[in-house]
Amino acid sequence: MTAIPAVFIVGLQAYIFSKKAYKAAPLCGLTTHQCNKAFRVGATSAVGPAMAVFIVMVGMMAVIGGPMTWLRLSFIGAAPTELTATTIGAKAMGVELGSAEYGLTAFTASVWTMTLNGCGWLLFCGLFTHRLDKVMAKFTKGNMKIMAEVCGAAVLGTASYLAADQALKSSPGLASVLASAVTMILLIKISEKHPKLKEYNLGIAMIVGMISAVLTLNFT
Amino acid sequence: MEEQAYKEIFTKPIVRWGMITLLGSIPFCFGPAIYLAVVYHAIPPVHTILTAWFMIASIYGVEYFMTPISYFPILGVSGTYMAFLSGNIANMRVPCAIVAQDVIGVEPATKQGEIIATLGMAGSIITNLIVVTIAAVGGNALMSLLPEVVLTALNYVLPSIFGGLFAIFAVKHPRYAVWGVSVALVLLGVVKILPTWAVVVCCSFSTIGFALYCTKRDTQKTSNP
Repeated sequence: MTAIPAVFIVGLQAYIFSKKAYKAAPLCGLTTHQCNKAFRVGATSAVGPAMAVFIVMVGMMAVIGGPMTWLRLSFIGAAPTELTATTIGAKAMGVELGSAEYGLTAFTASVWTMTLNGCGWLLFCGLFTHRLDKVMAKFTKGNMKIMAEVCGAAVLGTASYLAADQALKSSPGLASVLASAVTMILLIKISEKHPKLKEYNLGIAMIVGMISAVLTLNFT
Repeated sequence: MEEQAYKEIFTKPIVRWGMITLLGSIPFCFGPAIYLAVVYHAIPPVHTILTAWFMIASIYGVEYFMTPISYFPILGVSGTYMAFLSGNIANMRVPCAIVAQDVIGVEPATKQGEIIATLGMAGSIITNLIVVTIAAVGGNALMSLLPEVVLTALNYVLPSIFGGLFAIFAVKHPRYAVWGVSVALVLLGVVKILPTWAVVVCCSFSTIGFALYCTKRDTQKTSNP
């Protein structure tokens, strides 16, 4: 029950921000139809990743219980961070996570650790996000061309790390990174002729990636 | 004129509501901890809380400011507020924002891009809330219904998302893609000793640096042929 207000804020923020986005859309030449589509694409593209969160979540519920998992995964955290925090909380209590000694007090220690850890990001972003905008503007001197290049490069740098990290972990991981990247490149080429396909590109690439991982697992 | 109107209608209220929602949610985060203390009288000793806080901050402390900074060029102001309130940034918020921009055909880091990314992320947040709520209520029952092979496949959701995400941008900027992957592979495969946040920062900022260098060289080439 105590988890409800915090999760409610996440929904509320999404609602307020969308309303503002709809209101500002005509100013930069976007139609309501395009806005609806953007919202829908976001919602459908999230289904795949959300399924994965679902699986992790069921595992996490076994450790810290349903309500706390619900709060932590609708809010700030992602599963690995929260599980680390849970473990640290238990360790600070001198208890192993999942052992018989992991009782109520140790659980509260985990709850406190997760909460305090999450607040780090909330505080920083709450206080400084609007300043980052000014830093960014200074950095690119308001040049839109450079801004777009920097943005593309930032995504690529981060995506390179994420993809390489997964690819080096295991051979099914490597197979799925490669298969999904190649599928994506092909789909981008195909969707130049069939623009309707575009919104399903990531979903299709993901499915191909996952199938490749399973096949690799079975053949090695 | 339009710049001013956009600021009034979008940027200003977003900053105001962003601050309110992020900072305002901090007390609510303590809800479960306070509930446990009041109802069950379960509260860990203060020194335990402090020890745990110190330990967790030594792991994630740098990330409190490094992750928001490194995602900022992608997320923008409104995206940063949304992503860091709702979490699941690399695996859900960023891909959804990018796919939405790609489908509508707007450039990242523009006003249109910001609006579309905001809506795409809002859509993904709603999906996430629904799925997470279903999981909390009936997760265990649903899990037993899924066939084994689907469960195995879902373990590889992350590499599949990241491969696809990488490819979307690699097609647009092949040079930066080669650079980014090379840096990432060298740091992860050869150097291996840097902490995660440092690798992310190196990959992201060196690619940005490389992009700035390339853009500068290209403009010089076109200005003096």
